[in-house]
Amino acid sequence: MLETLEQASGGFWPYLVVILIGFLPTEIWRIAGVLAGRNLDENSQIMIWVRMVAAALVAGVVAKLLLSPSGALAVVPVWGRAGALASGVAGFWLTRRSVLGALVIGETVLIAVGLAYS
Amino acid sequence: MRQGSGLPSLVLMASLIGVGGLTSDIGYPMLAGVLSTVLVWAGPAQVLLFGSIAAGTSLPAVAIAVSLSSIRFLPMVVAIIPLLRGPDVGTGKLLIGAHFVAVTSWTEGRRLLPELPEAERFPFFVGFAGTVMAAASVATGAGYYLIGALPAALAAALLFTTPMFFTLSLIAGSRTAADWTALVLGFAFAPLATRLAGPDFDLLIGGLVGGTLAFAVHKLRGERHA
Repeated sequence: MLETLEQASGGFWPYLVVILIGFLPTEIWRIAGVLAGRNLDENSQIMIWVRMVAAALVAGVVAKLLLSPSGALAVVPVWGRAGALASGVAGFWLTRRSVLGALVIGETVLIAVGLAYS
Repeated sequence: MRQGSGLPSLVLMASLIGVGGLTSDIGYPMLAGVLSTVLVWAGPAQVLLFGSIAAGTSLPAVAIAVSLSSIRFLPMVVAIIPLLRGPDVGTGKLLIGAHFVAVTSWTEGRRLLPELPEAERFPFFVGFAGTVMAAASVATGAGYYLIGALPAALAAALLFTTPMFFTLSLIAGSRTAADWTALVLGFAFAPLATRLAGPDFDLLIGGLVGGTLAFAVHKLRGERHA
């Protein structure tokens, strides 16, 4: 069904993907939040499970982006990508939990390896 | 993230520059990236969307993964609604307000809205979040074009922004042993799940198994907050 839709939509396919696969699956929860009102406990067991699954999902996509990158990031060898990530994580504690500082440290290491290999 | 400084917005812009780069990387048009910032308005969901398309995941599995990552908006919206509700703010306006809810606007909204008179809260929130969204859209578009214009090492750095930033924000948000379990297992299971389940549903299976094991840790340790 999706293949048929892709062919029929032509150049509009990426926008349809953003709307159907990105926007709708996200927006239903915002709408549900308005409709649910106050009958929801943020710390209920099911919401805690949901938060754990969401964290694992995002960690999973991060790992995939690092291990099998496409395009420009593939220029940097895998040890360089892993090393830059580890440096950034170490930098998070060195900068006393500064996300921005750690981001700069990780990026600097990646650029250094990238310059050596490109 | 700390509230009140320009820092959350700055980090948000950096992550959306990365999303713009990712959009370009998978061969989508620039406006599809910008549209995702305006419509999806959720960094992790956008990264899941474009990142798993880059990894070749099937679209129904991507939709489920995106939706699972966005369930957190349900309690977030529930928590902010009492602050937006007013004499002439009905369900229609609340739905508009809810669309602007994301981590940055939510934390800032919860901090700033109680200080305002009731009638000014809804316009303030939409104006404030709308401004951040407009700037984030520019960042997405800029990231899209930057990736093609930059030398190879810097283009790689642009794409690296996304995994680096989301790793850091997961670490910054981890408080309990269960949080750490979700983070580490989610990361470790991704390549394993690809080998076992193939590229279509690996992300979903890795996330569900890793998240459920983390929840088991939470139950076993009897943690109160997660």
